[in-house]
Amino acid sequence: MSIASDLIRGHTDTIILAHLTEEDSYGYKINKDIQVKTNNQYELKEATLYTAFRRLESAGYICSYWGDENTGARRRYYSITPEGDLAYQQMKTEWDEAKGLIDILIKSSKKREDTNGR
Amino acid sequence: MEDKLRAYMDHLFRDVKPTRKSVELKEEILQNLVDKYHDMMAEGKTPEAAYNIAVASIGDMDELLAGLHGTTSGGGLSITTEELEKGRRKSAVLISIAVMMYIMSILPPILLSDTVFENRLAPALMFIMIAVATALIIYNNMTKPRYHRTDDSIVEEFKEWQEQTDSSRRAMRAISSALWAVIVVIYIIISFWTMAWHITWVIFLIGVAVEGILKAIFELKK
Repeated sequence: MSIASDLIRGHTDTIILAHLTEEDSYGYKINKDIQVKTNNQYELKEATLYTAFRRLESAGYICSYWGDENTGARRRYYSITPEGDLAYQQMKTEWDEAKGLIDILIKSSKKREDTNGR
Repeated sequence: MEDKLRAYMDHLFRDVKPTRKSVELKEEILQNLVDKYHDMMAEGKTPEAAYNIAVASIGDMDELLAGLHGTTSGGGLSITTEELEKGRRKSAVLISIAVMMYIMSILPPILLSDTVFENRLAPALMFIMIAVATALIIYNNMTKPRYHRTDDSIVEEFKEWQEQTDSSRRAMRAISSALWAVIVVIYIIISFWTMAWHITWVIFLIGVAVEGILKAIFELKK
């Protein structure tokens, strides 16, 4: 987790919603998918993940249900709501805009000449 | 090793009230840790390393646990102390009026004695006053604000249960005291009316039976 995890953490909600647009899922599976997708460069802490779940649930973006597994492990599945889908689209648009702006703003066209300075 | 993970989660949640929400959250996270632990073992890690990796993946739980406290206290259903105080004042007024009516119910027969109304109107007025007073007491008991659970914890459930049994017992006591007041009045009136003192004591036996029936109905309703 050497990459800028603080920067990514601000988008935990979007990441979770993006996963749930594909299929209903549970905490560990989402985290595992994230690891696989990022080639083990990023994973969420349990605490971050579940704080996000609670936040999204109280906002009405996701809902949860207990799945009945035959293997014995009872898992709580999360499912995205229509409101969550809308929120996801909006978050994604916002990120695209922000990304474009940040790219423009942090680009430096001129190299400072250190030898000239005092 | 799963027990060790469970023990670790118990330790993390030691300060959290055992509400349904928090217990479910604990189970959910524990299940994830167990999954992770097994995955690590499958990758060839030693049990100790797998346990350490699983525990390290939990991260900082403070915010999540604080969130649990926040959501439980904001139940919204609980009644404020102000409302309780208002309810208490209202109930004091109702009880006072009821007791006053019991005392004053003897006035119509006294005031109307030796008039043409003595036989019919006086007892009727008296019984109406008694009936209204009894109705006031019962109404008061049924509308009193109750203790509502502020969250799902066992302590709150116990408090609510205690309050419920307490209030039903209080209601029963109110009804039975009203009943006995009425019975004594009936006994005296009928005795003076008929002058059959040798038999009218039976009214008290009837009173005991009526009280028993009321109690039985009360128990059945619960």
